Amino acid sequence: MAKLYIGLFLLGLTVACGGGGETASEVAPEAESIAATPETPQSSAPDLSQSGSVTGRVSFEGEAPKMARIRMGAEPSCEEKHGGPIYSQDVVVNDNGTLKNVFIWIKEGMDQYSFETPSDPAVLDQDGCLYTPHVLGVQMGQGIQMLNSDQATHNIHPVPANNREWNISQAAGQEMTRSFPRQEITIPVKCNIHPWMKSYIAVVPHPYFSVTSDDGTFEINNMPPGDYTIEVWHETYGTQEQQIKIDPNSSQNIEFSYSG
Amino acid sequence: MSILRKRPRLEDRPVPEKDPITTSSLATPIAIFSLLLILTLVWALYDEILGLRPWIGYQRDFVKTYQKALVEMKPVRAQEEAAIYGSNEYQELEQALQEAETAIKPALAEIEQEERILGPKLTAITKPFTTARSRVQAAIYLLETANESSKASLEEDLQKLREGPYTVEIPEPDGSLVEKSYSYGEMEEEFNALKVKQGELQARTVELVRPSTQLRRELNTFASARLTSVTEAQVEGLLTRLDNFRVEIKQIYNADIGRVAANGQTPLVDRCESCHAGVREPVILTPETMGGNPLFASHSNRELLTIHDPETFGCTPCHNGNGVATVGVKEGHGNYKHWLWPLYPKAHFDAGCLQCHEADRHLELAPTLNAGKQLFSQRGCQGCHPREGFEPEPRLLRSVQKSILDLRLERNEVEQETQRTISTADRAETNEEADRLYNQADALTLNIADIDTQLDRLTVREADVMLEVKKVGPNLKEVKTKLKKEWIPVWISNPHDFRPTTKMPRFRLDEQQVQAVSAYIWQSGIDVELPQQSSGDPQQGEILFETRGCLACHSIGEESGATGGTFAANLSRVGEKANYDYLVRWIHNPKERTLPYCPIHQRDITPEDYASQGLPFQFDPQHAQCPLGDHLLQVQQPTVMPNLRLSWDESRDVASYLMMQAHEDAAYPDAEYLDDSNLAKQGQALVKHFGCAGCHEISGFENEGKIGTDLTKEGSKPIERLDFGLLTTQAKQEGWYNAKGFFDRKLADPSVWDQGKVKEPLERLRMPNHELSSEEINQLTTFLLGSVESVIPTTHHYAPDDDREEIQKGWWLVAKYNCMACHQFSPGQETVLENLPLYQDPDSRDQLPPSLVGEGARVNPNWLSRFLRNPALSETDTNRNGVRPYLKARMPSFGLSDGEIQQLVRFFNALSKQPLPYTAVPPDPLSSQELTMARELFTHQAAPCLRCHATGDAATDADSSAPNFLLVPERLRSDWTKRWIVHPETIRPGTNMPSGLFRQQDQRWVFGLADVPSLRSYTKDHAELMVRYMFQYTAGEQRRLTSR
Repeated sequence: MAKLYIGLFLLGLTVACGGGGETASEVAPEAESIAATPETPQSSAPDLSQSGSVTGRVSFEGEAPKMARIRMGAEPSCEEKHGGPIYSQDVVVNDNGTLKNVFIWIKEGMDQYSFETPSDPAVLDQDGCLYTPHVLGVQMGQGIQMLNSDQATHNIHPVPANNREWNISQAAGQEMTRSFPRQEITIPVKCNIHPWMKSYIAVVPHPYFSVTSDDGTFEINNMPPGDYTIEVWHETYGTQEQQIKIDPNSSQNIEFSYSG
Repeated sequence: MSILRKRPRLEDRPVPEKDPITTSSLATPIAIFSLLLILTLVWALYDEILGLRPWIGYQRDFVKTYQKALVEMKPVRAQEEAAIYGSNEYQELEQALQEAETAIKPALAEIEQEERILGPKLTAITKPFTTARSRVQAAIYLLETANESSKASLEEDLQKLREGPYTVEIPEPDGSLVEKSYSYGEMEEEFNALKVKQGELQARTVELVRPSTQLRRELNTFASARLTSVTEAQVEGLLTRLDNFRVEIKQIYNADIGRVAANGQTPLVDRCESCHAGVREPVILTPETMGGNPLFASHSNRELLTIHDPETFGCTPCHNGNGVATVGVKEGHGNYKHWLWPLYPKAHFDAGCLQCHEADRHLELAPTLNAGKQLFSQRGCQGCHPREGFEPEPRLLRSVQKSILDLRLERNEVEQETQRTISTADRAETNEEADRLYNQADALTLNIADIDTQLDRLTVREADVMLEVKKVGPNLKEVKTKLKKEWIPVWISNPHDFRPTTKMPRFRLDEQQVQAVSAYIWQSGIDVELPQQSSGDPQQGEILFETRGCLACHSIGEESGATGGTFAANLSRVGEKANYDYLVRWIHNPKERTLPYCPIHQRDITPEDYASQGLPFQFDPQHAQCPLGDHLLQVQQPTVMPNLRLSWDESRDVASYLMMQAHEDAAYPDAEYLDDSNLAKQGQALVKHFGCAGCHEISGFENEGKIGTDLTKEGSKPIERLDFGLLTTQAKQEGWYNAKGFFDRKLADPSVWDQGKVKEPLERLRMPNHELSSEEINQLTTFLLGSVESVIPTTHHYAPDDDREEIQKGWWLVAKYNCMACHQFSPGQETVLENLPLYQDPDSRDQLPPSLVGEGARVNPNWLSRFLRNPALSETDTNRNGVRPYLKARMPSFGLSDGEIQQLVRFFNALSKQPLPYTAVPPDPLSSQELTMARELFTHQAAPCLRCHATGDAATDADSSAPNFLLVPERLRSDWTKRWIVHPETIRPGTNMPSGLFRQQDQRWVFGLADVPSLRSYTKDHAELMVRYMFQYTAGEQRRLTSR
């Protein structure tokens, strides 16, 4: 019986394939999608002729928590660079009541597009035994150039969940470039020699991300019009998200707020 | 005669009115029968061609669908290949190769040119030279062996041979031949010079082409490493092969592995691939690619096929079924009454592994079976059911104890015989006779010495095995000091009510029986007052409980809120049942017993027994002698719970925390009846009947045997011997009258076969209810289905006698002590700890216990056995980790026997392919100059080793993240140490030890992070220097460095 069905099925298939041109063209994309490997998604670069942008601010409510003081006595060459007390960067509240070091990115809505990997690397510097910037956003596969502006040796030890973990020594003045191929929000980076050093690298599939600066603002430009989910991430206070709609040739303003 | 006479004559007969010959016709029946005949013929033909050969249709379908899939696949494959060959990386590699090849061309041409000149020269000189050389050597030999008289002339001959002259025509570069004349010495010189030159040219060539050879190798492997499946050309090849596909029976034949039965061995004939045609195809075929037909899919695990080549192993040895049958699915799968080995259902595929892998506790590729075995031992099935391989220790102990008794008897006899012989000798009539007898007595004395040696060895072994014996459940002799009285009957009546995940099963007891059992358990307990403990700090206790690693085995929190391991009890309500003083002692040292047990006197030994012999009341593994005789006592609790080496204060803190784990409204009715001795007497019978002593140590039941069926061969029991009770008919009707049907239902409801039966209470099925999930039932059924009388010849069983045997045995121990809850043994294996909330923050991952992948290659086995015996690596300072003082999780003391320690050491070494015994080769000591250099490098600010590694200073060690260098000389292997400091990343990906400390320069490793002035003129390997330094590292050296 099963054979009969298979026979009929094959017969049907033959008829379907051998039928009019229209039917054949309908079958073709299906065959292609089976054939396609996951590494080559059928997507294209976005049309940016009518692009919009989103700007915003991340405010902070409540009293700014007191940050622990970092004692760099073990590395005098670094301590000298600062010329004053150094505090942990877990929470940095700007003078205007906004939150610094918040990572903002388009979480949903970009899936149908593909993006070129930028050829310019992002830079992560080790200066005064601190990472600069404290939060770094890169695209998947984009180079991260790591510099050591200190006289001390560092080791760069990212602890990813979705990418491969590595740990490499870097002497004063040396530099190296590495990249992460998979999306991850975010990868903590540490230095085993200087346990206070901490930085976060966000790896996203597109160029639509930003990090709040000293005035707590951010800006994401050149976005194709559409509906998106925008997410903010902070190392201490976690994530929040909002829905936005980008109209052609327009700019959106959006506010986020964390409370301490 | 009379017949003839009676026969009427023809004309006498009456003519019938209707003559059948003329009036009736057989046409209809004939037509019917011929039609039937034709139909039968058609049927027979159909059967012959298709009906009894369903595989013909399957194979045709297979070819069609496979062709279609391949045709569809071709462009994709081509695209992938194109992407690979077109990738920048590949192009760059190819270009690099071309460049490299072009770059060396002139140099190669030059070498070739030189070779062109050199080659003919060498050829021209070789023959004359070798001829001359043999002559000279012959002359020398003659001279050496000649007598004095002829020596002079022979010397002369030799001289002549040496002088020559030898003329050789040497070809010149321009092709002309130049005649040269040599003495033998000159010719030898010339020959050697040419040879050396030739060697140089060859070496230069090798050196020159090295980069391009390397590149070519990379280029060749580039594509194969990146291709996810076959290449386009291979697809083409497969299509061509399909064009020539022959529809026929596909058969594997192997006379060596067929089923062994009482009537001998039948050769293996497996025709499974006649229908399952895609099993071994090089392309991975899923049901989706094959038009939704799972029949044509590839084998679901290629790795298994690589290990077990189907040409050797066939299909049915693993899967069961009737490999010969080709007439239908039911027949081929052996799913009919007369086939003893029906195909294992998909959920129980792993069962097939067991008949050859009986000795394996852990099979990488059989997770369901592993889980089944784990459940079997963890739930205490072996408490009632004997099963080979599980809980072998008590049997082993009995046999060792019996051997000791036998040997003692023998020793007595020999001793008496010796005495007799001596006294006979004393009274002997002749000296000769006396002498003979004295000799005999001497021989007997030696015999006694021999027995003593054996006895000593066996006594050590006995003490060893006593440590190895464990019980699944707690020791119930301690019940009076350990438990709250009223809690006991509540627990026994339904343990799952109190603790849903407990391994204690629910026995089907009525209230009176519960009371009786409780009363016996209570009254058989030891009456002792434990020292009163002051209360601890529960907050501190909680921190300790969460960080020391308790959660690797125990869980806390109820239902979905539970976190932790499933190996040991959930402790959410432990405060409702436990006695605080006892809990403190238990946490401080779970091995501690109230009284030792003497297997010879068959009772607990009391302080009075010790006092009666004038001995102190002291018993532990070092003091295990019975005060009443020359034999060993059971001095420890038979628990696998290890000793975490917490201080008394810490133990009180943890116990105080645990005592708070209770429901607020917990209330238990008074249970005064527990002191009723009549009730206890009834209870004693019930304890025996239900086999409580299978899992618990209970007074009066220490030597109780197992009450359940032996399950070693349960899977091959004939179905008639599995009693389905009154459900037999239903089982047959509904199609589950088979072993799987029996196991599944019995495990889900152990009383199921009593359904509808009229039985006395104590005649009913005794197996208690374990509240197993359907997944757990599936795992246990897999294990039981696979527990069979093997029909595979033993030659094919996996019973290696090399290193792999040590690995097999080691896994049993790893499972016994739940080592995998904290440590990783193979890449990708998850531990319980790493999944706990506590370790989710990336920073806290540094606090995880070390991975043990490659442990055998890392540490010195002699050190490892010391460490396993005492993980604190100190007799006095025990409340710490010996190697990693900065880890809050504690490597506990497992109280392993010597045998177990040796087995684990062999296991780790075998896993890392390290031979035993190990002889440490200490690295060369350093010269004073080297010592200075090594110190500078070691403390250089570009590689501050002591910033992360512990130094023995308690204040800084808490923040360190790597072991103390003082451990290096004894703990590590020097070859590993060098590999580690050079490339830590390749040994342990993601380690805190940074890579890139050294870089390769001219065949040696040099420090890569700074220019160290004193090392500039040092031409040896810097990494080697560091290793040599670390292997002579001492406490003095450490003080010297840290005090700077």
